[in-house]
Formats: sequence, C-alpha cells, structure tokens
Amino acid sequence: MSKQGGRQQNPAGPAAGRDGAPQGAGADRASAVRPFMVTDGRVAAEAGLPVETQVVATAEGLGKIGALAFERRAIVEACGAPLSLAEVAVKLRLHLNVVRVLAGDLRAGQFLAVHVPRAGTASDIDVLRRVIDGLRAIPTSVGSRDAD
Amino acid sequence: MDSAPSPLPSAHGMPTEVYTETVPATRPPLPVKMVVAGGFGVGKTTAVASVSEIEPLTTEASITEVASGVDDVSLTPNKTTTTVAMDFGCLTLDPTLKLYLFGTPGQDRFGFMWDDVTEGALGALVVVDSRRLDDCFPAVDYFERKGMPFAVAVNTFDGELTHPIDAVREALDVVDEVPVISFDARDQGSVRDSLVVVLEHALARAVAAA
Repeated sequence: MSKQGGRQQNPAGPAAGRDGAPQGAGADRASAVRPFMVTDGRVAAEAGLPVETQVVATAEGLGKIGALAFERRAIVEACGAPLSLAEVAVKLRLHLNVVRVLAGDLRAGQFLAVHVPRAGTASDIDVLRRVIDGLRAIPTSVGSRDAD
Repeated sequence: MDSAPSPLPSAHGMPTEVYTETVPATRPPLPVKMVVAGGFGVGKTTAVASVSEIEPLTTEASITEVASGVDDVSLTPNKTTTTVAMDFGCLTLDPTLKLYLFGTPGQDRFGFMWDDVTEGALGALVVVDSRRLDDCFPAVDYFERKGMPFAVAVNTFDGELTHPIDAVREALDVVDEVPVISFDARDQGSVRDSLVVVLEHALARAVAAA
C-alpha cells in the first residue's frame, strides 16, 4: 500500500512529541504522527472492541475536557453524538487501533461511554428479524434505477 | 439527534444535569454489522455505496492491530504492519438500530484483518465476478471455516451474467444451504435484497440452532 506515517517498530521515544508537527513531515492523508506514538507504543490492548462499538462523550467528560489535549481531546469532542470506532478513526484520520486504545483510556478516565455490542448479538433471532424488517422498510427509489 | 435531551444515563454515577444542555442525551443505537467480501474490483465498494446512507468511508487499518496478545510493537514482525484500506458505510434502520457494512480488503493475505472486522458480524455477502471466480475462493473458504453465514452474489455487470448461477454454484462447491444469487452492485434495491438473503440464511441457522 501507499507510504504511510506508520510502521512503527519501536515504542515512541519520550521526546517524540505526541502531537507531532501538525502539517509537518509526511503530511499526506494520514497523520504525521506515527500511529502508535500516541498510545505510547501500546497496541491491541483494546483489540476486543469491535469496530462498530459505539462511543459517546459523557457529560463529565465534556465538562472536564480541558484536561485533555490532542487526539484524546479530539475524540471526546467528536463524540458529542454516538459514533462507531471506525467512524472516529476516519473523522480524526487516526489508525483504527489507535482509536481503540485511546477509547479504552478515555473510558477509564470517564470521558467516554463505550457501548460494546453484547456477545451473541450476531445470532440473536430478534436482532436478525429487526435488521431484516429494517432493510425491507427502506425506500429504494432514491438514486437507484429501481427495483420495487 | 432529534428529541429533547434528557439526563444521560448516569453510567458513572455523577450528576449530569449541569451539562445536559451541551450533551445530546443520545443513547447509542445497537450497532450491527455485515461484511461485503470478495476479490479485487468485483464491486464490493460499489455495493456498500449503493445502500449506505453516507458516502463510504475509508479507514486505514493494519494487520498489526490484530496481532492480539502482543503488547509491544517492537516484537511485531514487519510483515504484519501492512496497511490496508477498509471501506465501510452504514444504514440507520431505526433510532435504536444501526447497520454497518464493511468491505473487506480484497486478497487472502489480509486474513488477520478479516478476523478483526468479521468478528461478531451477522453475516457476509461474497461478491463474485463470474469471469474471475477464483478470486472469491479465499472469501468463501474463510467464511466456511469461520462458520459465518454467507451468501454468494454474482455481480451482473451491465446486466450480463456470463455464467449461469447453477454453474457458479457448482464451481464454488458450496453446500446447498448457502444461497447463490445474482445482483447488481449499483442498484440499491438489489443490494438491499441481497443483504436480506444473507440475513434470512443467518436467521434460519439461528432458529435451527435455538
């Protein structure tokens, strides 16, 4: 794939600067910060969080947002309304797993409420029926050459 | 979102009233997801785009992120840091239910990535170009092994089906229960119906297992 800020081999050095130069080196579509610097080199700590996990700022978190900076602050700010981890990653141009790790931190700090789908949802009969009904109910005329 | 704010669920047992004006008291919807898989260029992203309520988004993810159990990046071999682009879209089915559609990166070398995205998915739609059937083998094998409900959908480019569905089914050698259908990735209704086929298959299995 294309060149990327990524490919971090070693955990971030202390002086690396977690905010990085905003428009500095490697300012292509990805962050100039190497992905795992902002997590102090941690990866996979929150690998259990599915990509569709919903995160939303808590009132407490918004109230004390001044305590946060950079990516952590941006995540809380972006989550005034619930978003999936995948959407947060896109919005903030962060690596998905960086978002996972930071969301875990922010949950621990009570800045974010993290709603993980219950295990077993995928084979839940009621859920499947609701999704089927929901899909059937969507109007299919818009922008489509139509079907029904 | 829409209605008047009410106090947030006090997940953290602290008073929230002070901030309710600034915090939309939005209870997150139940997020569910489906996977749209298949070889390169078969129309996965097109299919996602046809039904998504947002322009499909692309996020960059890498295989390192799913090297679970490894908590030190320096221990992760180079080859596992390949960056892959993952497309996804979503559909709000009702205020309490949101369906995410993830297009898995095309090739089999992204096995780990697939696990990361497919875990917990309701089911998968394997998109096939019947002129290049081989391309979908990794996806079919993957979902069979994982035991995840899936359907094979032959994309009828320009309304043309180069091979009859029966021939495709035979070539893929999937069990009878696996639906093999044709669809048009550009057509919203067609993609929607294909997803319903996957879900009905998943539902039948869930009912049988209940």
